[in-house]
Amino acid sequence: MSLTGGSETMRAKPVAQPPTAWHSLGTVVRSGLRSERFAPLTWGLSLGATCALIAAMWPSVSGPIQKAIQSYPSGIKQAFGITELNSVEQYVDAEMLSLVVPLAMAYFAVRCSTRLIVGAEERGYLDSLLSLPLSRRVLVAGSLIVTAIVLLEILAVCWAMTWVAGTVAGTDISARILAEGFGNVWPLSMAFAGLAILLAGILHHPSTVTAIAAGTLVAMYVVDLVGKISPELKPYRIVSAFKYYGSAVQNGINLSHILALVAISAVLSAVGALLFDRRDIR
Amino acid sequence: MDSVIEAEQLTKSYGKSRGIEDLTLSVRKGEIFGFLGPNGAGKTTTIRTLLDLLHPTSGSATIFGLDSRRDSIAIRARTGNLPGDFAFEDRVTGHQLLRLFANLRGMSDLGSAADLADRFKADLSKPLRELSRGNRQKIGLIQALFHEPDLLILDEPTGGLDPLMQEEFLTVVAEHRDRGATVFLSSHDLAEVERICDRVGIIRAGRLAAVESVSEMREHAYRDVVVRFAEPVSLADFEALPEIEQIVVSDDTLSFRSLGGLDAAIKAIASHSVIDIEIKRPTLEELFLTYYDGSGDRS
Repeated sequence: MSLTGGSETMRAKPVAQPPTAWHSLGTVVRSGLRSERFAPLTWGLSLGATCALIAAMWPSVSGPIQKAIQSYPSGIKQAFGITELNSVEQYVDAEMLSLVVPLAMAYFAVRCSTRLIVGAEERGYLDSLLSLPLSRRVLVAGSLIVTAIVLLEILAVCWAMTWVAGTVAGTDISARILAEGFGNVWPLSMAFAGLAILLAGILHHPSTVTAIAAGTLVAMYVVDLVGKISPELKPYRIVSAFKYYGSAVQNGINLSHILALVAISAVLSAVGALLFDRRDIR
Repeated sequence: MDSVIEAEQLTKSYGKSRGIEDLTLSVRKGEIFGFLGPNGAGKTTTIRTLLDLLHPTSGSATIFGLDSRRDSIAIRARTGNLPGDFAFEDRVTGHQLLRLFANLRGMSDLGSAADLADRFKADLSKPLRELSRGNRQKIGLIQALFHEPDLLILDEPTGGLDPLMQEEFLTVVAEHRDRGATVFLSSHDLAEVERICDRVGIIRAGRLAAVESVSEMREHAYRDVVVRFAEPVSLADFEALPEIEQIVVSDDTLSFRSLGGLDAAIKAIASHSVIDIEIKRPTLEELFLTYYDGSGDRS
């Protein structure tokens, strides 16, 4: 066989067809879940351990805390959504679910949802992925689904650890109320995943996407917090995702708010996918 | 359909920066087409535009008669691409990568991956982070080839490969051509392109300077010869030699540029006592100067 020269007789070979979008989506999701398989342990165990500690402490701190709460100015109680603090679920809500868990989970959602988009672009392997018969929209949809599933896994680990710790400590902790509290974090985090995907549809660097999404997250939290205290700023709460997050432990699940946040996530992701489809890969 | 790739006035600019300009190109079915140019000439931009990773500013391209933008997924199903700097997630092993890529291609097995891994002596069991650049490049080559694509697009494929593996690579590519595949090979290695390609496109500063057969390119590939003799020689002994220019004799040293065969020159040189002889082929940049003068016009 010579290295140079003309082509020889071609073999009859069927033309390779691309797999269906559903097949590709399934592959992207399975691969993404495999890549994120340690996240429920790393994120879930660390956050879950803190939540579990808070629940286990409740029997020893419940008395002094209730006295302290009575002495808080009403503005502070209003700002942090503390109407009363007479159960372990409310204590976990005030200590963890009002700020730490939603901020951490929203940050995780931002990173996870953009890992296969701008993350892969920065590390130089998006070219390899998109040289395959894989559409960019499927890649985005797969990233969003992986984020949704892994978030649920992390929140489930947190919920389980908190419930076990509360039960062992004899706090009469309610699995249902706790599940509503942790479950309520999911749509909020997904909304920020949607925002991150929208940004990834325009920007090329994961650090820029994360910075803007994280900045928006903190800004929305502050807007909601200040809006609760100041009547003048109250109308601005409407732009904050935290207004729709509320407190599922104290007020129960608000289905319309959950649907609104999920819809926002879906719309932002869809727009992000369209923009990602139209932009160059660097 | 005789052409697999057809680019028509394809232009890609990045704001004020140049990418490629008015690139019109045709790559025939079953040929190995070398795409030559120095770094920054626009080779990678051309490939990435053909693969829809970059969207053209103007112009259009078809591959297999399909629009490179609208039908990009169908094109990529029939194409194997090795990016210039092949990378993937560090913790993934070669085997895991190939399994993922096979799934995303809708393959039921790993195609010819095992055979290719054997030929390239590639270790598929180690995570990519534990592999040297050359060994990662082997994984990149396998993923581009293992599904036996109708079109192979290779961007600087031999970077990091040792000479033995480069040889094996050239053999594998020739085998793909022989089974009917088309190969688009971007390189800045003139010798590599000369050895394997049927035709060559030369890109310079974003514009296609020339497309010609390798034999035509060889005609442009002059050689600079410097000979040192045991005693002083006379210019008159060499002046009449055919296809020679820039001849200079200085005491015991003769230098000239050969534009064709060296037979007559070697015979003339051999009539003297020779101490040393050096034959130098042009670099790519020097070769380009034979196509273009400084202003970019064909000379």
